[in-house]
Amino acid sequence: MLKPNGFTTRIIHTPYAREDAHHALHQPIYSNAAFDFESAEQMELAFQGRLPVHAYSRISNPTVENFELRIKQITGALNVTALSSGMAAVSNAIFMLASTGSNIIASKHLFGNTYVFFESTIKDFGIETRFCDLTNNEEVKANIDENTVAIFVETITNPQLEVVDLKSLSDTAHALNVPFIADSTLTPPNVFSAKDFGIDIEIISSTKCISGGGTSVGGLIVDYGTFNWSKSKKLASYAKRFGPYAFNYKLRREIFRNLGACLSPFAAFLQSLGLETLQLRFEKAANNCRELAEFLISLPEIKQVNYPGIKGTEFYEISEKQFGKFPGAMLTFDFSTREECFNFMNKLELIRRATNVYDNKTLILHPASTIYCDFDQEKKESLHVSDTMLRLSLGIEDIEDLKNDLIQAISKL
Amino acid sequence: MGSILVNGKTQEVELPISLIDLIKKNNVEQPEMVSIQVNGEFVDRNNFDSTQINANDEVDFLYFMGGGSRC
Repeated sequence: MLKPNGFTTRIIHTPYAREDAHHALHQPIYSNAAFDFESAEQMELAFQGRLPVHAYSRISNPTVENFELRIKQITGALNVTALSSGMAAVSNAIFMLASTGSNIIASKHLFGNTYVFFESTIKDFGIETRFCDLTNNEEVKANIDENTVAIFVETITNPQLEVVDLKSLSDTAHALNVPFIADSTLTPPNVFSAKDFGIDIEIISSTKCISGGGTSVGGLIVDYGTFNWSKSKKLASYAKRFGPYAFNYKLRREIFRNLGACLSPFAAFLQSLGLETLQLRFEKAANNCRELAEFLISLPEIKQVNYPGIKGTEFYEISEKQFGKFPGAMLTFDFSTREECFNFMNKLELIRRATNVYDNKTLILHPASTIYCDFDQEKKESLHVSDTMLRLSLGIEDIEDLKNDLIQAISKL
Repeated sequence: MGSILVNGKTQEVELPISLIDLIKKNNVEQPEMVSIQVNGEFVDRNNFDSTQINANDEVDFLYFMGGGSRC
């Protein structure tokens, strides 16, 4: 059989794990909880991981598995686990590696909920997060010690849109035997190959572009099998038996199973369907983003535009090296005051006021008053979340309609 | 004939036997997705043909399958 090479072809023609009884062209939705066994012996083998069958949908499910196998096809990963949300993927990955007394190296430039998870949630379990400037390798090295269990980074930080040199950071991590985890949600697998940049564990919020544009909530842990887990205090004993599969073994048999954050089969169906058009949609949205960034720069009412695809800006070169022509489909821009931001948002007629990113619709948000509303002013400033900044996530609408909406809203200020 | 341990149970087989023949003999389901340990060491999929199983070897068929690992 002809082996497909193209990104979208590989998704669409990912073989089912098992032939469908009715030869359905889409993996059917198996919404049941449990699966039957022919004998007690078969059941025993299944529970030991010695038979490729499903037992209970919290643990694995055919529809979810098909989605996972498609992600595996396009990423070249060793193992993929689909979860109930992007934050479930973050928390499961961290609980895989960290114990009381561990520390994690991360930038303070993070998605708001991820920041709170690191700064507060895991602190209550005795896990420290050392917030560093991840663009400064020396600072990173100085903060790593024998209790460091991961370096965590977002490929493009949200909403600061900072881009670190991932290869350089992964070299630093691996030289010191630390696993490198990256949340690549803003740079989906059609524009960013995590494995090529030394990322051991990739986190993706599949809610965003993969889902088909905000159709459902989900997350992914993509394990490349690249880290030597014998160097991990928590996984060393698993590495002795399972080698590169050590992370996956503990994840699937303990952490993921017991935290219970499984993806629902219905969401998996939607996300699998969305994945088929990811490339088409993302390229359109990213092109919209580039064009709208240039348009916003030309408007005197806009004080500042931040988008890594703007030539000459701080992260342009590293973005191009890592993400090619499509450095995300999200930008931020500033008015003079918070009031002006609110007035502008309220005048928009087409662009929606909503908190998601990479929906098919273009979405706008004032981060300081929403995602970061629980933080005091000093904290917001330290996180570079300004009161005058708006975040715009581009959809796949026709660009002239988006420009017209911006123009009419600005004209009413 | 000789004894080997397959998935924790003793089997009497003609020895030596290649891993690929042992997979067939055991009707291993979805062989394209199985991972195999011989005496605790994973065997590269490309070496299933050339790996010989000898008396008293321990063989484990495991399913890690990225995607829906059932282990």
